[in-house]
Amino acid sequence: MAVIEINGLQKSYRTHKALDSVTLTVERGEIFGILGPNGAGKTTVVECASGLRKPDGGTLRVLGMDPRTRRRELLQRIGAQLQEAALPDAIKVGEALQMYASFYDKPADWRALMQEWGLAEKKRARFAGLSGGWKQRLFIALALVGNPEVVFLDELTTGLDPDARRLTWGLIRDMRDRGVTVVLVTHFMDEAEALCDRIAVIDQGRVVHEGSPGELIDRSHADSLEDAYFTLIERTV
Amino acid sequence: MKGLGNVIAIELKLAVRDPMAAFFALAFPAVILWVKMRNGGTLPGGLPAIDALVPMLSVFVVGLASLVVLPATLAQYRERHVLKRLRATPASSTMIFGAQWAAHMLLAVLGTALLTVIGLAAYGLSGPANLADVVLAWVLGALSLGSIGLLIGALVPSGRAATVIGLAVFFPMVFVSGAMSARETLPESMRSIGDLTPMAPAVQAIRAGWEGHPVSPLTLAVMAAIFIVAGGAALKAFRW
Repeated sequence: MAVIEINGLQKSYRTHKALDSVTLTVERGEIFGILGPNGAGKTTVVECASGLRKPDGGTLRVLGMDPRTRRRELLQRIGAQLQEAALPDAIKVGEALQMYASFYDKPADWRALMQEWGLAEKKRARFAGLSGGWKQRLFIALALVGNPEVVFLDELTTGLDPDARRLTWGLIRDMRDRGVTVVLVTHFMDEAEALCDRIAVIDQGRVVHEGSPGELIDRSHADSLEDAYFTLIERTV
Repeated sequence: MKGLGNVIAIELKLAVRDPMAAFFALAFPAVILWVKMRNGGTLPGGLPAIDALVPMLSVFVVGLASLVVLPATLAQYRERHVLKRLRATPASSTMIFGAQWAAHMLLAVLGTALLTVIGLAAYGLSGPANLADVVLAWVLGALSLGSIGLLIGALVPSGRAATVIGLAVFFPMVFVSGAMSARETLPESMRSIGDLTPMAPAVQAIRAGWEGHPVSPLTLAVMAAIFIVAGGAALKAFRW
């Protein structure tokens, strides 16, 4: 069953056409990767689907709802980790989880979540003092605190060291294993190959490929997802 | 409005943790009280200075929390994408405003309580003659000045700009409206300018209630009107 159905989605910022026509479907319970060069429109797709931006055209259904008209209702059932998002410097980890939990009708038990994601030892640490890895872990926990059915993760592992990245991969698989549908925007081919059940490659505001990593590699007669990716977006290194 | 109490409590903790906010709202007015009381004495008209200073400085505290600290917090949240993250939750802009206002007004309550305790303990302050009137006037003052602060915070792009604009609005206003120097001691020309500021009705109404004079309904109506107009404009102008 599809949890996200996007058809001919368009979005322009002033004169720049961010999304030309994006069509893709995300099935329930999968990790769906969105790949593409900078400025391809990956974040715009996520922002439209999570109700942060209003698309100019096309149809968009998340959990059967149009984010344009049923935004508040939809936000009760999705979670998001956004690029560049932040919390107040002085807020403590426990306070942030407690506060975000209070926004939702049926929140997860934030204390249990804090334990599960290994944040208990940082409960009294202030946000400003956390390392990049801890911040990302907190953002994942905040994305899950509303008990969402779909989670959007935008460049979650950018800026993390290799250890923290590997750890985060495990956390993302855990999420899927609990039945959450994960939409993962990433720059890293190894990450997409290791995690994603299916991926969409977006270039210049259009989906140029949608399928499993294996299909993409086969179709491009490539050895790895990275090679396949460059074949697909017609760029060479 | 789900979770409002929770958010207010956490925002108040954050405000108290910020050394600048805590200094300006709590310590600074107490220092002004001490400096003013070194001259002590009575005002023209025979009122002991302390009985005017505590209600006056309570408006100073409300003004500082409303016009300087609150807009800076809100604008900094926007600048640093704290609001962007909140926007991806079911929290509404009304709730963000309500929580910010309430938390900063609780900060002002702490500042007012501190001034009252110092006044009672050290300077023989007479308690408010009509507590109900004082509370009503204080709350309306907090609503009117707070909604102006929310409007500044909604419009200004960065925390730094909000602080500069907040101070530029706040300081001239406290001088001419009689929140810093008693209205009785201000030159007539300055007082007539001060009466045009949104802080003047708060000073007049709180002082009247404190001294046991009838509170002018006009001052209360002006504050309510400012709250409705500025609050509505802030909600309309708000960007995440």
